Amino acid sequence: MKQPVPSRQRILDRIRAATPSAASDAAQLAASYAELPRAYVRSGSLSAQARVELMIQRLREYDAEVVECTPAELADAMTAQLVASGRHRFVAPPGTPNEWLVTSAWKITGLEWTIDHGLDIDEIEKAEGVVTAATCGIADSGTIVLHHSATEGRRVLSLLPDWYLCILRASQIVETLPEYFSRCQQPPALHPSDEDLSLGTPTLATYISGPSATADIEMTRIKGVHGPRILVVIVVRDDK
Amino acid sequence: MSHVSPARVSLDPRFAPPFPQAAEQMLRNPQLRKNVAHAIDVIQAKRGKLVVEKTDWQELRSAASAIRFHVLDNLGAYLEQFEARCIAAGGHVHWAADAAEARRIILDLLREEKATEVIKIKTMTSAEIQLNPFLQAAGVSVYETDLAEIILQLGEEDPSHIVVPALHINRSQVREIFARTMNLKNLSDDPKELTNAARTYLRKKFLSVPTAISGANFLVAETGAVAVVESEGNGRMCLTLPRTLISIVGIEKVLPRFQDLEVMLQLLARSATGERMNPYTSLWNGVTPGDGPQRFHVILLDNGRSSILAKNKERQTLKCIRCAACMNTCPVYRQTGGHAYGSVYPGPIGAILTPQLMQMKHAQSLPYASSLCGACYEVCPVKINIPEVLLELRAQVVNQERKQAGRFFDLMYLGLRIANLIFATAWGFHAAQRMGRIGLRFFTRNDGWIHALPSLGAKWTQTRDLRGLPKQTFHQWWATRTKGEK
Repeated sequence: MKQPVPSRQRILDRIRAATPSAASDAAQLAASYAELPRAYVRSGSLSAQARVELMIQRLREYDAEVVECTPAELADAMTAQLVASGRHRFVAPPGTPNEWLVTSAWKITGLEWTIDHGLDIDEIEKAEGVVTAATCGIADSGTIVLHHSATEGRRVLSLLPDWYLCILRASQIVETLPEYFSRCQQPPALHPSDEDLSLGTPTLATYISGPSATADIEMTRIKGVHGPRILVVIVVRDDK
Repeated sequence: MSHVSPARVSLDPRFAPPFPQAAEQMLRNPQLRKNVAHAIDVIQAKRGKLVVEKTDWQELRSAASAIRFHVLDNLGAYLEQFEARCIAAGGHVHWAADAAEARRIILDLLREEKATEVIKIKTMTSAEIQLNPFLQAAGVSVYETDLAEIILQLGEEDPSHIVVPALHINRSQVREIFARTMNLKNLSDDPKELTNAARTYLRKKFLSVPTAISGANFLVAETGAVAVVESEGNGRMCLTLPRTLISIVGIEKVLPRFQDLEVMLQLLARSATGERMNPYTSLWNGVTPGDGPQRFHVILLDNGRSSILAKNKERQTLKCIRCAACMNTCPVYRQTGGHAYGSVYPGPIGAILTPQLMQMKHAQSLPYASSLCGACYEVCPVKINIPEVLLELRAQVVNQERKQAGRFFDLMYLGLRIANLIFATAWGFHAAQRMGRIGLRFFTRNDGWIHALPSLGAKWTQTRDLRGLPKQTFHQWWATRTKGEK
């Protein structure tokens, strides 16, 4: 693609002429950035228990269905949700842990699983439901964060199916949005451990706060326009 | 395509009637006023509740304002940084000095793709450069995918708000548009059914049209990321399904670092739709193999922005994050709706942005489309002092008018020059007061109000009453009062 160089130069020249007080080099720019006021609330004040409860409350306010379970109960909880969904064809990301599939819905007749190893869009479109993991939960706004790793799948996977089951571990939940962003500041460890909470700066991210919605007609909130109309979240209480 | 609206040029500040003239028409449309008032009441109530619960709202506003000012002060450096990161991540970056160049770049890219159809996410910059009529005239079918934008496109209506652009249309009007254009005779006016009709209508487009056009809410200089904030999922569809994505973004939209989103995202959803967070926010860096469009273009649009940047008081206009809180709170917008502003940017922000984007050559009535009550400043999440900019622009309009031939003998300017002479001395002022009291007595009714004045004075009294002058001035009253008490 040919760059229209003259316009680039012209715009940048105009900007430079309009900003005589601009920082002269990267160090000065960083110094001026560091002085910006940030007196807003950065870290939360809730107990771990209250934080998880707030997350669940917010999700329910968005009309998401929320179930809690212990790590040992996860397979059964998933099975129950899959069966209750009344749907049969499901997709899951390539990094889906084997035990999720093998011990749960795998054994139920009538449920059909496809793992996304480069599926065609049509095949994903045919799926009635999808199950993925998540990167983080933000309690304050009931937001689920996907960084689209192998356990969360590519973006289209959690978008096309009408029914979306998201598995969120309680230990992934932070209270405030700034807490999530500060976790993104540190690069993720090579050998992640339970104590290591750094997420790294994502190259792809989707923040989901409830099922897709619109209020474009008379400000009446309608759940489910183009994204999944039903959002189910299993909160795995690995914090207890 | 029979249901695609023909190329129309509307809401163009170059041809729009002056605000008072356009507003008068809107005020005579009770249905429109009812629709607008209802929508605004709902958003305002939701926003109010969520802002109160946020204990650090003012601190967030201060941080956002400082970040945005910092960006504008260093815009060149941050844009170059964004450009480098975006290219490194596999994206292409184009620079468009004005609307015509942006349109041409987009059409060239579409021709290169051999695209005859595009799907679009709601974007204000595309409306600003009037992209849709241009593409349609060039033989490209354009499909808006945001529910409100579909209503407008199919109904051949103009947007009247920057976040909920179809808020002036009620459910039975939507039903009529959908039933007619989608050929659905039995459609009811239940919003749920109407939304479903749009979902079905668009699903095929999402899965088959290989080229999408979007705007962006933020660009991140540090990482090269682009952010789109939305509710319906039509954005995610356009951002992930097509082969090629073109994002057209104003040059002011850049943020220094990824972390700055923690401030902006907390403010934006609460201000715009009264939600703690909008349902979907998408962030992407350039191109990701195996996920989403494999060709990605960003067009950085100037179109008058760099000239706003050069002006001291007006520069803050560019801090705007397009949340529309100012129009939701504005007593003028509430009465007139958006169309009266004759621009794709209505409300208080439109009243300052539009004339500036037009280099003060058009839309000069907009800086007066305000009572200067200051509500817009109070709700603005990035603290744009809109009244200050309105006053500055009014001064510029007056200066321009003064230079026009014939203005010297204009009744208004003549009167103001005489007033200038009279008010320059105390005796002149007192004499004028006495004469005014005598003169106005003829027009003051028994209820103490002046309902109608002749000539130039009628400009004031045709829309409001004037209190008759009191029997004595404050000075006179004070003099008698102190005498009496001594």
